Amino acid sequence: MRIQVNARNRGFQFDAKPGEQVLYAGLAAGIDLPYECATGTCGTCKAKLVSGRVRDAWPSAPGRRYVKPEQAETLMCQCIAESDLTLEVTKFVKAADPGSCRPAPGAGRLRAPRLLTHDVMAFAVDLEQPREFDAGQFMVVAAPGVEGHRAYSMVNYERGARSLQFVAKKKPGGGFSEWLFGAAGEGAPLRVFGPLGTATFFPGIAKDILCIAGGSGVAGMMSILSRAAEERYFEQHRGWLFFGVRTMRDAFFLRELSELRGRCADRLAVTVALSDEPLADAAAREWPRLAFAAGLVHEAARQAMAGHYQNVRAYVAGPPPAVDAALRVLLLEGKLTADNIRYDKFS
Amino acid sequence: MTKRFVCRVADVPRNGLKEIEAEGGLKLLVASAGGEFFGYQALCPHQDVPLCEGLYDGSVLTCHMHLWQWDIRTGAPIGLAEAPLQKYPLAVQDDAIYLGAQPSALDVGELFSGLAADTIAGLSALARSETHDTGAVLYRPGDPAEDIYVLDSGRVEFLIGRGERTAPDGFMLKKGETFGWAALLEGYPQRIASARCLEASTLLRINGKAALGVLEGDPSAGFTVMRRLSGLIARYLASRGSQ
Repeated sequence: MRIQVNARNRGFQFDAKPGEQVLYAGLAAGIDLPYECATGTCGTCKAKLVSGRVRDAWPSAPGRRYVKPEQAETLMCQCIAESDLTLEVTKFVKAADPGSCRPAPGAGRLRAPRLLTHDVMAFAVDLEQPREFDAGQFMVVAAPGVEGHRAYSMVNYERGARSLQFVAKKKPGGGFSEWLFGAAGEGAPLRVFGPLGTATFFPGIAKDILCIAGGSGVAGMMSILSRAAEERYFEQHRGWLFFGVRTMRDAFFLRELSELRGRCADRLAVTVALSDEPLADAAAREWPRLAFAAGLVHEAARQAMAGHYQNVRAYVAGPPPAVDAALRVLLLEGKLTADNIRYDKFS
Repeated sequence: MTKRFVCRVADVPRNGLKEIEAEGGLKLLVASAGGEFFGYQALCPHQDVPLCEGLYDGSVLTCHMHLWQWDIRTGAPIGLAEAPLQKYPLAVQDDAIYLGAQPSALDVGELFSGLAADTIAGLSALARSETHDTGAVLYRPGDPAEDIYVLDSGRVEFLIGRGERTAPDGFMLKKGETFGWAALLEGYPQRIASARCLEASTLLRINGKAALGVLEGDPSAGFTVMRRLSGLIARYLASRGSQ
């Protein structure tokens, strides 16, 4: 199917395969179409259907509240072409940066799902074809017979990765999450699309890095810190991770974070903020390389970061209220410029 | 035009923001900054997010969705922001804030906003306001590129190529957006795209040579316009488009 997208600054043409989401077809063709979550939640990829017929992959997608069907608006991440299409996007659209990892569809199998806490699961997808991605990016993942795609940040970082590591929080009513925590079995076939997202880290930025994550948002931070540690980035620059959870029962990756910190000496500081539980000595004794703080994660970051915002690049991930609170601290107190704050809103 | 009531001074928190529907139905963002008040479009020009939900420190406004930022005194974009905010002049009388006369497309235009009043007046004197119906063609490839256009209202699309072999090359829809700017450049005497109204549109049309004459009389304005024009061209080059 031939797709024409008319943007504010020019028109683009690309082909979509039968059954393929228009957004994914355009991104795979190297066109930087607007998106954020790529999974039907945020409404960023909305477009007006000028001509042609589309089918909706997920008619009850939450992002539908941002579109006006009476004006023929649709979400490109959910619409599948049933004929040649012309769409209009009232934004400026560019060709993708030639240096970026171009997203593509892929197939793989579920490996080693294991509970990290009572409601957080780690799992891997072993890919049929190796995949390049940047530290901090995410993939959308779908299981056969399960409605909708879900976006998950990669935890690992490596060139030509054969396996992608993810962390998923249990979401009651979330199709993929319920499948993963329920019926999913080792080796189950999965489809992926990506890599996506712009909250990426490259050693060339040459800045201190500040990561603020709530809950499973720590996944992308693990990828960023892994790459930084691997490239001995903290010999030149400082790093801070603030990881917010409710209680110690909700905390995970503490062993991995301890090891990471061991590799980076004192240049990387890791603080676990507990919002719903007083501090206990037991945690500090068990994890001597980690710091613990009581309160919300943005508050822990605010107190520890005062006076350290010079030459800082910040990464933020987590539930929307945690992200918004962290942005407020970074902009109003840290006085960071907007281009030094990176996050993808896909919760 | 009579001034329209917006709100009481006390309705706007000091150094804070408030979204208000002015008399007559226009939704505005009113910002207080050190005792002064500034009025802007209520929604972010990027994705229609209410700006009153943004972050504001009394001088810089940040939309919380994608961190676009603006100088609250001028509405000029800062950092990641790709578009200015449309400004509405406010006047304070006693304890009430009123909306003044609407600015012209030249005042809010991406090339000319913020220039000295005399220079704007000089350009305004050159501008002819034209209204065209849906489907009207403003120019075609090969036509002489003598005039620049500033959109006041409506929607204009561009097509590149000739005859049957044309491809969409973008569209304009915001008040103050400028096109046909080859008329301000030397050595580009002909149009390379066609411009067509997608809906009934009102445009200001200004002779390029005459506009350059006005700018020569105010070199700092001329420098500002040329700097913005080069930014505009670079933006189109970055997208490999043309106009």
